[in-house]
Amino acid sequence: MISVSKLLTDLDAEGDGLRYDAAEESTKAQIRDEKQRRPVVVWNVTKQCNLYCDHCYAAADTDIADGELTTAEGKALLDDLADYGAPVILFSGGEPLVRQDLEELVAYADEVGVRPVLSTNGTLITEERAASLKAAGLKYAGISVDGLPERNDDFRGMEGAFDGAVQGIQNCLDAGLKTGLRYTITERNAPDLEGVVDLLTDVGVDRFCFYHLDYGGRGTEIVDADLTPVERREAVERVCDMTREYHDRGEEIETLLVGNYADAAYLVEYAREHMGEAQARRVYEYLRVNGGDPTGERVADVDYQGNVHLTQFWQGYSLGNVRDRPFGDIWEDESNPLLGALREREDRLTGKCADCRYSDVCRGGSRLRALTVEDDLFAPDPQCYLDDDEIRGPEPFAGGDATSPAD
Amino acid sequence: MGELDHEVDAPRGATSREWEVFCREASADPLTHVGSVSAPSADIAREQATRLFAHAAEALWLCPADETVRVQDESLALDPDSDGADATMDEQAMHDETLRGEAE
Ligand code: SF4
Repeated sequence: MISVSKLLTDLDAEGDGLRYDAAEESTKAQIRDEKQRRPVVVWNVTKQCNLYCDHCYAAADTDIADGELTTAEGKALLDDLADYGAPVILFSGGEPLVRQDLEELVAYADEVGVRPVLSTNGTLITEERAASLKAAGLKYAGISVDGLPERNDDFRGMEGAFDGAVQGIQNCLDAGLKTGLRYTITERNAPDLEGVVDLLTDVGVDRFCFYHLDYGGRGTEIVDADLTPVERREAVERVCDMTREYHDRGEEIETLLVGNYADAAYLVEYAREHMGEAQARRVYEYLRVNGGDPTGERVADVDYQGNVHLTQFWQGYSLGNVRDRPFGDIWEDESNPLLGALREREDRLTGKCADCRYSDVCRGGSRLRALTVEDDLFAPDPQCYLDDDEIRGPEPFAGGDATSPAD
Repeated sequence: MGELDHEVDAPRGATSREWEVFCREASADPLTHVGSVSAPSADIAREQATRLFAHAAEALWLCPADETVRVQDESLALDPDSDGADATMDEQAMHDETLRGEAE
């Protein structure tokens, strides 16, 4: 997750405890801390969903699926996650609101100290449920909208889904819940991006997360409907431009890019072109601490049957099951050579990623997309849209140069 | 050691059959359980597992999860008394609730 608004509008020389004159040691320490951080855990509480979205990674269905973790098992899982030190639990699905014990689980997560947040399509969030989720201790609701009304409804397989989601957003905001948009960018909906932001800003939303498509679940069927590298670059540039335009007008919106760490490299290039060398350096250092693609490290997934996955999109492979042993034991078990390899992936990346000068901030992007498209776990991410002349050459700002022009 | 009197028999496959994967990195090493892959057939399971582990493994074994008996000490179970009760809305309730916020 890369905060465009932070990098392009907030980050100044004093910001975020990062000063570059004495930075090298502290940056290293921060990177170390970052690596030791426990993962944010996505929990697909159910496979069932009331919509049928084209790109659903969970291959959700309208039927109840076998083997869902029960309420008691869910609480035991939350205890495990709390013991292990997972900072955040993202309730997801399917559609998590079809679980009638969602509030109970949210309250339990809050009680044991794992920050409960929610990812939903919004169409089941009535006033009552928004209020009960807020009362249960929910900290954030991310609501998916994937285009202006007509396009969104088509994508989601239900007429009225857009209005339903907006009503859900409204109900959350009225209940005092922090609420943001989730938008998965594809070829079909890329043109709607600014329109949706404008529309939802009027409703009162101020946080917008743009997801690149990952190639899991039904997503694999629409690899062809994904953006081309040129289109992707344009879309990301528009997110950057839009963020700065809002800021310049005095309207603060938070914008984030998720799921493709070539964005990190691009943001440095964008900052250099539009904001100068000093800002580009700040952006780079910030992203270096951020650490690149988090698969198998800072993000984890537990599906409705308790299978643990490397990310929520990577459902075709499971590390183990929380019904067999605690989450932390599964996650720490590097006798699994895949886990070890992913955590040391820098040494294994091939092709253009092997000597990309941005590999520190990107780490080769999505391993799942490389695997799906190239059949090779360590091939470059097929979604990389950086030009060859941008990724070649020495590491940008190498050596912790003491004379940053910013100071 | 434990009594191994708890059987974990909950299903493991989400969209197709699930295959437990075991890998040996070198002939002197133990065969290690390294998770599972979802695949409709043994051939596809083999392909999937090979893509994930060929870089490290000298040998791979695959076994259908639904043919694997998993018994363990009860203390390890997430919730040994769980009766599999479902907390999810039935389909009718789900459809009735959808867009209900809109009707106001
Ligand atoms: S070449 Fe690889 S490491 Fe470099 S930006 Fe592209 S995907 Fe990331």
